[in-house]
This record gives sequence, C-alpha cells and structure tokens, in this order.
Amino acid sequence: MTQALFGLLLRAAVVLAGTALATFALLWNAPGDPALAITIARYHSVVSPEIIDKIRVEAGLNAGFWTAFQSWIGPILQGDFGNSSVSGRPVLPELAAAAFYTVPLALAGLAIGLVLSIPLAIFAAKRPGSWIDRGAVAIASLGAAIPAYWLGLLLILLFAVNLAWLPAMGARTPAHAILPALTLGLGVAASLTRIIRSGILEARGQPFLPAFRRRGVSDKAIGRDHIAPHAAIPVVTVFGLELAFLLEGAVMVEVIFARPGLGSFLVSAIEARDFPKVQAVVLLAALLFVIVNLLIDLFYRMIDPRIGERDA
Amino acid sequence: MRSVIVLIICLVLLAVFGPMLAPYDPTAIDIPNRLQPPGGQWLLGTDALGRDILSRLLYGARWSLGLAFLVSVIGLVGGTLVGLTAALGGKTTDWLMMRTTDTFLAFPELVAAVVIAGVLGAGTGSLIFALTVTGWMRYARVARGIGLSLETRGYVVQAKLAGVSLPSIARWHYLPSLVPSLMVVWTGMFARAILGISALGFLGFGVQPPLPEWGTMLLDARIHMRSSPLQMIWPGLTVVACVLAINLAGDALRDALARESEA
Repeated sequence: MTQALFGLLLRAAVVLAGTALATFALLWNAPGDPALAITIARYHSVVSPEIIDKIRVEAGLNAGFWTAFQSWIGPILQGDFGNSSVSGRPVLPELAAAAFYTVPLALAGLAIGLVLSIPLAIFAAKRPGSWIDRGAVAIASLGAAIPAYWLGLLLILLFAVNLAWLPAMGARTPAHAILPALTLGLGVAASLTRIIRSGILEARGQPFLPAFRRRGVSDKAIGRDHIAPHAAIPVVTVFGLELAFLLEGAVMVEVIFARPGLGSFLVSAIEARDFPKVQAVVLLAALLFVIVNLLIDLFYRMIDPRIGERDA
Repeated sequence: MRSVIVLIICLVLLAVFGPMLAPYDPTAIDIPNRLQPPGGQWLLGTDALGRDILSRLLYGARWSLGLAFLVSVIGLVGGTLVGLTAALGGKTTDWLMMRTTDTFLAFPELVAAVVIAGVLGAGTGSLIFALTVTGWMRYARVARGIGLSLETRGYVVQAKLAGVSLPSIARWHYLPSLVPSLMVVWTGMFARAILGISALGFLGFGVQPPLPEWGTMLLDARIHMRSSPLQMIWPGLTVVACVLAINLAGDALRDALARESEA
C-alpha cells in the first residue's frame, strides 16, 4: 500500500509538472511581447523601451525558454500567483471571490443531476428493454447531445422570456441561480443516468447472484450488499468525470447567464489577455483535478483490491 | 460498422453538397429584410443582418462538420501512434508516453481548448490546434491497452523472434486488431469535436464571423432572442441532430463489437 501510494503521488507530481510546463509553453508562444505585458502590469502606463528591455532581462525572457520557465515557476511554487495585468490587484483574492459563486452552482447542479438520475436509472434498470427503460435511455442520449449553451438559452427562452417566471441574467438573488443550476443539472443527469443504469445491469449479471438467491438471501439484501458495491466503481469514476463536466459547464453557463464565477473569470481574463489570471485558474484547477483523481485511485484500491495488481 | 459508414457518408455529403443547395449567399447582407420570420422567401427566416439562415446552416456544415472531422482524424492518427509507441516501446517509453497522456487528461478538455484557442488568438488555425491538442488522449489509451494485450499472442511473439521491425509489427499485427475499438472512440470524439467547435464559436474563440459556423450563429442569435426566438433554435437543433446521430451510430457499433467478442 505504501508503495502504491508513493507511485500514485509520483504520478500526480509528474502530471502537475507537465501541466505547468504546458501552460508556460502556451503563454511563451502567445502572440504579443511578454515583457511589455509585465511592464504594463507593473507600471500601469506606457513606459520607455529601456524599461521594457530592463524587465525583459530581469524576468529572464531573453535568456531562453528554460531560464524564463524557472523564474516564472519560482513564485508560483511559493503560492504567489502575482497581480492581474489589468487591474494590478493580486489574483488570488479575486479568484477566491469567483469560486465563491461557482462552487455552490456546481454543487446545486450535481445535486439536481443525482436527484433526477438515480431514481430514473433504478427504475429503468428494473425491467431492461421495457418502454420505461428505452425512454430513459432515449432521454439520456438526447441530453448528452444537447450542448449546455443551447440548453441554457432554451431555458432562458422558456422560463425567462416567454413565461417570465425566473430572472435570466446576473446573480443578485438566489432565484438567479435556478436556471443556471438546472442547465448544469440536466446535463449531469443525462450522463449519470446512462452510467448508473449500465452499472446496475452489469452488477446484476454477476454470476454469484443466482447462488445467493438460491441460498434464500432476500432480494433487498442482495441489492444492498452485492449489487450496490459493484455499481459503485463506475459511479466513482464518473464522479471524477462529472467534476470536469461541471467546470466545463460552469464556463458556458456563467457566460450565458452573465453570472460571476470561475468560468466567466477565465473567459474575461482570456479576452483581456490577463495572463496571470489565466495561469492561476489553469494551475489551481489542475491541482484540484490531480488531487481528486488521486483520491479516486485510492478509493478504487480500497473497494477492489484487484485494481492495484493489474495496473502497475 | 455499417451504420457508422452510412452516417459518415451522409455527413460528408451534407458538408460537400449542402452549400450547393443553399438558396442564397450565406454572407450577403440585406438589411431591409433583417429578422424575417421563417416561411415564404426565406425558409428559416433571416438573421440580424438579413442573411438567409438556411443558407448559413448549409454552408456552416463545412465549418462545423468539416473541421470536426479534420480534428478528430488528426487526433486518431496522433493518439494511435502514441499508444502503439507506448505499447511496443519498452518500459521507459511507455511510462513517458502514458504520463504525458495523463497530463493532458488531467484537465477538462473543453476548458483546455478554450484557454489554448483564446491565448493563441481567435481564428480557425488556433481552433484546430486547440481541439487537436486536447483530443488525442483517448485513442492513445485504447491503442496502448489493446496493444499490451496482444504482446503475448503467438503471431506477435513469432514476428518478434523472426526479427520483424517494431513499426511493421505495429502496422501489420497490431493495427488490424485496433481498428474496431478505435472506430468507437472516434465516433465519440467526432461528436465531441462538433460540440467543441460550436462551443468555442459561441464563446467567440472559434471560427470568426462572418463565416457561417453553427456556434457563431448561436452567438449572433442570442442577442435577438426576444424579437426572433426561432433564429436561435435552428443552429442548436442542427448541432443536436448531428451529435445525436453520431452518438447513436457509435453505440450501435459498440454493441455490435460486444456481441462479436461474446460469440
């Protein structure tokens, strides 16, 4: 177990280092002069070319890619993500303020997704091939094909424009969160329904189940003790995927509904070419995903010891 | 397999011949006839600049479907090469290749594509680059996984003993076994590429106006949601129809493969 943990940690560290390198390579190749960008960030005004050149030397930008990478990653490793190149204020507090809007939205979306998908999947899997099952699969397939931005627009059209029940734009009241959360939640529900349903069906096909039944174990006990743990593995995998989906969804949904949050923070930072903000979002999100994947890997090993053995 | 082939032919026909069916020039501005409702002279109505929506949808197929096809095929070739190299290349190569794959998989693909396309500057070139760079990893995983399972097969061992070079083994002994599974992955990635292109277009980081691309059309339509809501329906419906058809074909292919491996 210690060895497995060490292997997983090493893997996580390599992935993080790779992400940092890829992020820097991207910014290095971005059109425009990085020295000019830093200068503007620092002095908030157009300065003489001499000062720009001085900064170029200071930041190691003329010393080649690797030197520049080292002087870039140094402060970040100490938790200093620098200042916004537009507002000049530190990046991290603004990022935290944005996360304050996105996290509840994502949780609400996940909750809606779970509430809709679990009963639907269980109901559908009860009688595979019945019209209920086929209907559930059809709805889930349709849901997987509808892009979040279009679904969001349709919901605005129906509930905000035509029925005028709910507000569409902004985040002033809790009611403003209903449509964005629903947009995210319906997307989550579509993918979860399929996965939970096939997880249940697969678990139910396990050869030991008829043996238990013949021994007189009740259907309820079989469902709880044997089908549920088998269905849990794909569900945990999906949880990692859903987290990615929620971040992707947050980007689209926050833009559509003009909500503050990590997604609109990222998009507006890209549009303003505010690279300190962009790299902060990318690196911290990568850190989050690496940690979540690490936990998922550990969880697998706990519920299914075979996993550690077959994947070296 | 057949359903996928039929579907691909249909989509290719749509992208190639669709523009010929277009009744109007997709970029011709006609302000007096802006925001016309569907029916009559303009089958699906006109947009805020008086451009015919049906013509824009038909021309848009070239961008939305054509680029998605290109992106997914580049990813297929690149990812398969990475996966086969990992499977055949020995322990160190395998570790390096797979950690690279993990790195690219560690981040949500669409968000990574938004960042890459946005930072490099909006345009078709950055769009293709962004979606290709974020779209090869699944192929690599599948190719490596199947590749490793073939390692101990008799014909592979014999070929190795006979001194056949690794690229030839990859080409003649590994690739044929990979094709069906890679096709399943490809259908999924093709659908994702369509969604990605329209999402980036919708955010303004993709294909640039006045080119008719479905996501960009939605971005235009959004502003006039109150006055002409139907304008927003068409491009979205087109995306959903294409993605749904591709996903269903992919499901059918996967089920057929599962039946084959059981039999």
